[in-house]
Amino acid sequence: MTVKIRFFAQFRELLGSDIITDAPAGTMFTSLITSVARKNPEGYAAIFDKNGAFYEFVILMKNGKRIDIADADKTVIADGDEIAVFPPVAGG
Amino acid sequence: MFSLRELERYKRQMMLFGEEGQERLKKAHIFIAGAGGLGSPVSIYLAVAGVGTITIIDMDVVDGTNLNRQILHYDRDIGRKKTASAEEKLQELNPDIIINAIDVMIDASNVKKLVGNSDGIVDAMDNYQTRYQLNDVAIAKQIPFFHGGIRGFYGQVTTIIPGTTPCLKCIFPKAPPTEEFPVVGVTAGIIGTIQSNEVIKYLTGTGDLLANRLFIWDGIQAHAEEICIERNPSCEACDGNGKMKKAGKRNDS
Repeated sequence: MTVKIRFFAQFRELLGSDIITDAPAGTMFTSLITSVARKNPEGYAAIFDKNGAFYEFVILMKNGKRIDIADADKTVIADGDEIAVFPPVAGG
Repeated sequence: MFSLRELERYKRQMMLFGEEGQERLKKAHIFIAGAGGLGSPVSIYLAVAGVGTITIIDMDVVDGTNLNRQILHYDRDIGRKKTASAEEKLQELNPDIIINAIDVMIDASNVKKLVGNSDGIVDAMDNYQTRYQLNDVAIAKQIPFFHGGIRGFYGQVTTIIPGTTPCLKCIFPKAPPTEEFPVVGVTAGIIGTIQSNEVIKYLTGTGDLLANRLFIWDGIQAHAEEICIERNPSCEACDGNGKMKKAGKRNDS
């Protein structure tokens, strides 16, 4: 199946903007983002902590709906899903 | 009533929202938290638009590293209090408005009093701890909170109307780590002017606000887009209904 992953702000700088990727059916949200982020260690380290969990400030969305970090590893991705991953931008 | 000088000054925008809209701007009091990257364009454009009373808060001194983006402050202001520099420039830009520049650090103990009877709060801060305190006050006073954030070539803006839209904590429940963030001045200009535009529209009742939408700017790709945002029923700040949580239920500072 094909899914689209959109990173924003500094995640985009490190990992690219619109990533179309193939994933096996039944892939979970967390494992999908983990595998894509691993392509750049700096990008991975911006999103995931040492234990491989999302940093608590990271915002996750699937098809425009918010996904709680606590639910991300049991959220199944379906063909055609659009995923967004972004940080709160903090500077002023 | 407006003086002849004011009628001339505001002529080109009264073509948009009339003398009545201008009167609303004149009667308004806007609180700008920060006289830095975002606070500069926000305060400049609200001052020249004729917002009658502007309170602007900052605790810092102008530093040479500020000058690539903080256009309220000039080379000659290095070492000077940002509030003194801001007051001087804003008053010169528009002598017909009142500028309260207050040199203080915003914290939980003073934020409510500082905001006072303002009609809206503009977020020109550089950290989420203070933003959350301002968000709490906006909810308590049921006044709008015009959020903006910048980093590098990227920025985000939304207009928070307590009771109508998600609050800042519904959207961003957890603060990112603090950092010395990279930034180019135009990002502050783009995001800050959108915030000012929102304030002017809110006060004059013009157009549609950036409510329930997070505007995201990517200056690298010269691309802007929006993400729909929703209230969070388990929000720590507002319970998702735009009302203050009861004191005993709150667990943040």
